[in-house]
Amino acid sequence: MTISWLQAAALGLFACLCSNSCMAGQAVGNYTIGRPLVGGLVCGIILGNIPLGIACGVAMQLVYIALVTPGGTVSADVRAISYIGIPLAMVAISARGLNPLGSSAADLAKSVGTLVGTVGTVLYYAVATMNLVWQSFGWKDVQKGKLDRLYAVNFGWPWISHALFSFLPTMFLTYYGATAVTVLRNALPMDGIAMKTLFTVGGMLPCVGIAILLRQIVNRPTDFIPFLVGFTLAASLHLNLVSVTIISLLFAVIMYEIEMNTGSTGTGSGSSQAQTASNSGSDDDDEEDI
Amino acid sequence: MEETQNTKKLDHKTLSHSFHLWFWGALTCFSQEHMQTFGYMSSMLPILKKLYPNHDDQVDAIHAYTAFFNTNPMLGTVIIGITASMEEARANGKDIDGGTINDMRAGLMGPIAGIGDSLIDGTLIPILLGISLGMSSGGSPVGAIFYIIVWVLIAYFGQRLLYFRGYSLGDKAVGFLVGKQGSAVRHAISIIGSMVVGGVLASWVNVTTSLRLRGANGKVFLNLQSKLDSIFPGLLTVAVTFFCWWLMAKRHVSAIWTMLILVAISLVGVLLGFFNPGLSY
Repeated sequence: MTISWLQAAALGLFACLCSNSCMAGQAVGNYTIGRPLVGGLVCGIILGNIPLGIACGVAMQLVYIALVTPGGTVSADVRAISYIGIPLAMVAISARGLNPLGSSAADLAKSVGTLVGTVGTVLYYAVATMNLVWQSFGWKDVQKGKLDRLYAVNFGWPWISHALFSFLPTMFLTYYGATAVTVLRNALPMDGIAMKTLFTVGGMLPCVGIAILLRQIVNRPTDFIPFLVGFTLAASLHLNLVSVTIISLLFAVIMYEIEMNTGSTGTGSGSSQAQTASNSGSDDDDEEDI
Repeated sequence: MEETQNTKKLDHKTLSHSFHLWFWGALTCFSQEHMQTFGYMSSMLPILKKLYPNHDDQVDAIHAYTAFFNTNPMLGTVIIGITASMEEARANGKDIDGGTINDMRAGLMGPIAGIGDSLIDGTLIPILLGISLGMSSGGSPVGAIFYIIVWVLIAYFGQRLLYFRGYSLGDKAVGFLVGKQGSAVRHAISIIGSMVVGGVLASWVNVTTSLRLRGANGKVFLNLQSKLDSIFPGLLTVAVTFFCWWLMAKRHVSAIWTMLILVAISLVGVLLGFFNPGLSY
């Protein structure tokens, strides 16, 4: 399997659409096109092998399913995982003649995805930094009263950031990367220190995302309890997420009723606690997800 | 208030335009410094143009929205709806100024981000992905297509509903969102969020150690992972997560540095034989 310039350019376009600041909007861009599972489908269509694309997408999505990225910080970049990592993994897997649905193909996909995704974080910060230029145009327009130009600032100029840091890197890396993957594989063998470390870190990265979420949810030590209960339900009782959600609904309803009732019986401690909780919750108002 | 001859009213088309600008452009011009500020300003433009025919008034009004703004872009849609309604009230001579609007925005973006991130990123998306992954095992595109359709429909119509609900409730929504009932609802939702996030961590993240101590005869006498599992399954995963939380919440270490610390720990762990992902081509 090889990647032509046309295919590489198509991958580059999808990279612009999905990565933050995603040109296809947050819901459609980052949360749909950017997901490795969807990326696997898109790459499969572009490169003409849907089952292989999906298999790679599933393998990488498993690594990144819990990779929530609030607070404007990313630990891995979706454009790099989905539109550089998946195509390269597909090429590498078919070049080595591995069974696309086998576990060694999945491991290869994961390692390429983790490597590219972590390194790709640079692209994310590059785009965000370059957007400062367009924003400085925007501030001038606001001062001069040329309000219509704000549309160009928000929807037009950022395409240049993406042309430089999403389109071109994706196009060149997928076009030339096919051979590079093989070189890389030989230079960084799976049992070497570098790949072992990288993969260990890749396995831990979702913990950072979860910890950022916890920082938002947890206002007092007892707030850890529902989190640990949910963890225990899944880890020890092996319930799936839908089941955990249903159990959590019961606790949520009980919680709601208790808090509403304490409030109505006068100066309940529940409402004042809730008040402090909401106050401290609004302290870290810089939270945002990518 | 008495001198308002004909009250200005935002029509459905203007509101819909404003909603779409937010839906597609909340984060298109993202930077670490201003985050969603420009997305917010452009989604308010149709509203300001409709309410203030005079160009100078439009320029005046936009200044309320130059302040830093950042929240969960999905649930945050409700804030845009609320400001549309407050702006309408301001244009009709009600006792609202830019400062009032900004205080409301600043007060809401924190709580909304907290609920939105745990509910959408931490709960809804992992559940949807979990279901879709099952459908796509074996290389079938069904799961991916299922995810695209279900998620886009939920996101589009959910956000649309939030926008128009925010508009119709106006500043009453603020009372609901940060008032007593709002705080009870947020608390209840955060219970769901916390529990499912815990479930997500247990289901999809697995930090394990490969440390095995062997005796002189080569027999393993200590398999640390199985010992840890007998204490509490997933202990290491929880420990790493708590460590990250402690670094960021208590030691005020940034997320980037937390990741770099994890890199250092992994490297040392790999060298000591504590970690071994055990992959092979």
